[in-house]
Amino acid sequence: MPHAPDQDARVKGVNPPSADTFENQILSLVPSLRRYSRSLAKSDSDGEDLLQDCVEKVLVRRGQWRGVNLRAWAFTIMTNLYRDRHRRFTQHPSVEFNDTLGLMAEDVSGDPLQKTRLQNALNALSPDHRSVLMLVVIEGYGYQDVADMLAIPIGTVMSRLSRARRQMAAHLAENNIVTLRRPK
Amino acid sequence: MTDHHKPVTEADLHAYVDGFLDEERRRDVELWLSGHPEQEAEVRQWQAQAAELQTSFAGYAQASEGDRTLLNARTATTSSPSWWRRAALIAASLTLFVSGAAAGVYGDRLLNQSTPIETAAAIDSLPGQSKTAFLVYASEKRHPVEVGADQEDHLVTWLGKRLDYKLVAPDLKSLGFSLVGGRLLPVNGKAGAMLMYQDTAGQRLTVLLGKNPENAETSFRFESAGSLETFYWIDGSIGYAVTGEVSRAKLQQIAEECYRQFET
Repeated sequence: MPHAPDQDARVKGVNPPSADTFENQILSLVPSLRRYSRSLAKSDSDGEDLLQDCVEKVLVRRGQWRGVNLRAWAFTIMTNLYRDRHRRFTQHPSVEFNDTLGLMAEDVSGDPLQKTRLQNALNALSPDHRSVLMLVVIEGYGYQDVADMLAIPIGTVMSRLSRARRQMAAHLAENNIVTLRRPK
Repeated sequence: MTDHHKPVTEADLHAYVDGFLDEERRRDVELWLSGHPEQEAEVRQWQAQAAELQTSFAGYAQASEGDRTLLNARTATTSSPSWWRRAALIAASLTLFVSGAAAGVYGDRLLNQSTPIETAAAIDSLPGQSKTAFLVYASEKRHPVEVGADQEDHLVTWLGKRLDYKLVAPDLKSLGFSLVGGRLLPVNGKAGAMLMYQDTAGQRLTVLLGKNPENAETSFRFESAGSLETFYWIDGSIGYAVTGEVSRAKLQQIAEECYRQFET
């Protein structure tokens, strides 16, 4: 391997961002990337895999980053990876490790019935609809931001959001169930 | 009231749910919703859905000790980090499984996680089984129960033994229902119990108890089918379902009373 000539320059900070800053910035984004990856994934381990692939790709492609909004850029990479994985998975389904070893150790307080129900409703969404819903609802991105991140027209963002919400609602309403707080 | 404001579009409704409207527009939308109950119901549903999603995933936005290794994974470019992670996972799950089995805690959790669909199906059938039991037995004139309330001690000891659980027959007199008796019946493919109550008008309700494959705790859930109402919940190794042809509010009171008395 030839020695990369720009390596020294970067270390000296001539060519920002310096390696250290970039990596620390990524590190500080990991929690929200983890939440996004989990909201797209079918299981905790699937989510951690996606996160790891995403961080790897972000590091490999750091030269392509234009220096603004690293978070949005990383989220775009994550979304694309998720779509690719989904496509690959549907073509070549493989056995899933459904581990409980998520780094979060799960919130034990969660109601298992409710979680299964929600997860099933999410899994029924297409990747395009799911990613838009999650970027808006969980990550708090504006509609125009999402349009820019995914390079789609804002009208498409709105129609995917509508579709995702209605599909989720229909799925969740299928069984006539109302969840109440337990008496104490 | 006439709309001298901009008409409310679907995009406005989403922006309302997502909190992207300014105060004035938000008020416009609320006013509009109050005159459009169908859309309002949908919007409330979207809000509830958003809140549920946010709560579900909020806990994942955490840093973890291993995060820095995510950054290093790339240096071993030849081997796929996913492969490493999988290997680590397998190793870790084996360890956890073995040590967990000894502790009797994690092994359980691990098993449960690998069979989420089966477990969910078994649990979901609880209200269904409760409704069936009600329909079959509550209408029975001569033999609604196997053991009557006059032998309550025997009843609870016998059923408790079959369930491997310290069963009590909740006292629902304060709510107007007294114990008729109970019977053994299959629930989730295992020995389960049904208790029957009735009020002075002869209105009956049933309480079903079944072994639950998963040691879990759920919130109270409600399901209605026609005029039948069922409340159910899971507490540890036992799933409970209360079914009756009474109002939801009344049945909830009853279910809560049962819950309280089963606790002790």
